[in-house]
Amino acid sequence: MKTINAQLAGCWSLSVLIVCLLTGLKSQAQTVLTVTGEVTKPLTLQTADLTAMAHTQVTGKDRDGKDHQYSGILVVDLLKQAGATVGGELRGENLTKYVIVKAIDGYEVLFALPELDAEFASRSIILADSVDGASLGPGVGPYRIVVPGEKKPARWIREVKSIEVRFAK
Amino acid sequence: MRFWIGSFIVAVVLSGVCAWTVADDPVPAGPYTLLYPASFGGRFTIPADNPMTQEGVYLGRLLFYEPKLSSTQTISCASCHQQARAFTDGLALSIGVHGKTTRRNSMSLTNLLWVRQLFWDGRSTSLEEQALVPLGHTDEMGSKPGEAAKALQKTIPYPVLFKQVFGSDTITDVRISKALAQFERTLISANSRYDQYAAGQYQLTESEQRGMQLFNRSPSPERNVRGGNCAHCHGGAKLFQELFHNNGLDKQATDSGRQAITGLALDQGRFRVPTLRNIALTAPYMHDGRFNSLEKVLDHYSEHIQPSPMLAPELAGQPNGFHLTTGEKTDLISFLRLFTDSTFIHNPQFANPH
Repeated sequence: MKTINAQLAGCWSLSVLIVCLLTGLKSQAQTVLTVTGEVTKPLTLQTADLTAMAHTQVTGKDRDGKDHQYSGILVVDLLKQAGATVGGELRGENLTKYVIVKAIDGYEVLFALPELDAEFASRSIILADSVDGASLGPGVGPYRIVVPGEKKPARWIREVKSIEVRFAK
Repeated sequence: MRFWIGSFIVAVVLSGVCAWTVADDPVPAGPYTLLYPASFGGRFTIPADNPMTQEGVYLGRLLFYEPKLSSTQTISCASCHQQARAFTDGLALSIGVHGKTTRRNSMSLTNLLWVRQLFWDGRSTSLEEQALVPLGHTDEMGSKPGEAAKALQKTIPYPVLFKQVFGSDTITDVRISKALAQFERTLISANSRYDQYAAGQYQLTESEQRGMQLFNRSPSPERNVRGGNCAHCHGGAKLFQELFHNNGLDKQATDSGRQAITGLALDQGRFRVPTLRNIALTAPYMHDGRFNSLEKVLDHYSEHIQPSPMLAPELAGQPNGFHLTTGEKTDLISFLRLFTDSTFIHNPQFANPH
């Protein structure tokens, strides 16, 4: 009887493991961020794509008033990868372009392209995936915009799901 | 028996009069000008293929109150969206043509001009697309594709009206939805006592004043600030933000909500943050109509918020809720009652034209 129970338990653990692996794989394959709009190569990114990109560390004050160390991808790097007009191309009419960042809950914030471009801005705006060495928590992550030095963190949009480049019309 | 025969004759005569009125009233024509306060802002889009016209709004209103749109010819949009209740129906779940209940609570049709993702789960991105859903749903109006259009085509007044609005007397479901959308865009509520207060024309009572502070403030025990932080999601001149949140009704959501639309695990049990316009008129509350009074809604936010990984962060910071006192709840409710716009629910432009 004990043996059967043990076998059953074994089967159960194995199936749980398989289910976990499958759902794990499934969530790995899910799109977590899109970069679209006025770009030449729209991006559909998965967790692994973002993890593999170069990370930058910044310090920022969250709503708790305390400094935290954030790590993430420079938003301008995502824009470059998508073929948005940043760097040398950010002149003329391209200066009337802006970015809308959207969250899962529907919250939206806006950045003008020069705010994100290293040739214009002295601060580095990142799409953070960790804070003080840990993943971002529920309701905040998996990705959050961090704008170091901004006095009010209202544009530190949580649960980011898309970045869209638009022309002001 | 005599009474019934009498009623029947009255009904026949009345319907004759109505049909006559519809056909013979001069139909207003020309572009329709939307009037709204500057504070509501201009962040809305009128589809290029459905510009607002007075004749379009006129037709849309007739259709909104037209039972011929349903498969049984018994239910109109107005059955579940009654003007006196700020275009809701007073039921937890609505009842469709086959007597079965709908999945979710009938939503108030107010200031839809500014709503970008309609329904409790935000599935529709335009009023034109939205209107076709209840029209065809078996548990709502139950019309098969083209069925409602066919019924209207057989009438005397409608082909004429469609010709005036769309340049052709061919009635289609798409044209029905376009006219309905035009009418719905005119349903603007901007004259509640709250609006009058914002315009400097109404003075708050002491209770309303305290209620407003609780509504707007985020609680901060260390600074001894009491608050319900309601404005975080329900604030602004329009009293709505286009957001989808899990407000902790259940530990494990029984209705997956927005997740069914986006496929995202984090969207489980998230629903539209509804407008608070005319909130005192739109009971019962929540996507499933589980609370039949504002008092019960406040009890939920005060003491019964259920934790889950999907719970909105603004609510997650409060263990089980905001722990409001009885007096604070009373003050908040007196403030919420300021959102009732009696001119909106009595506006003859929105009433049944038949």
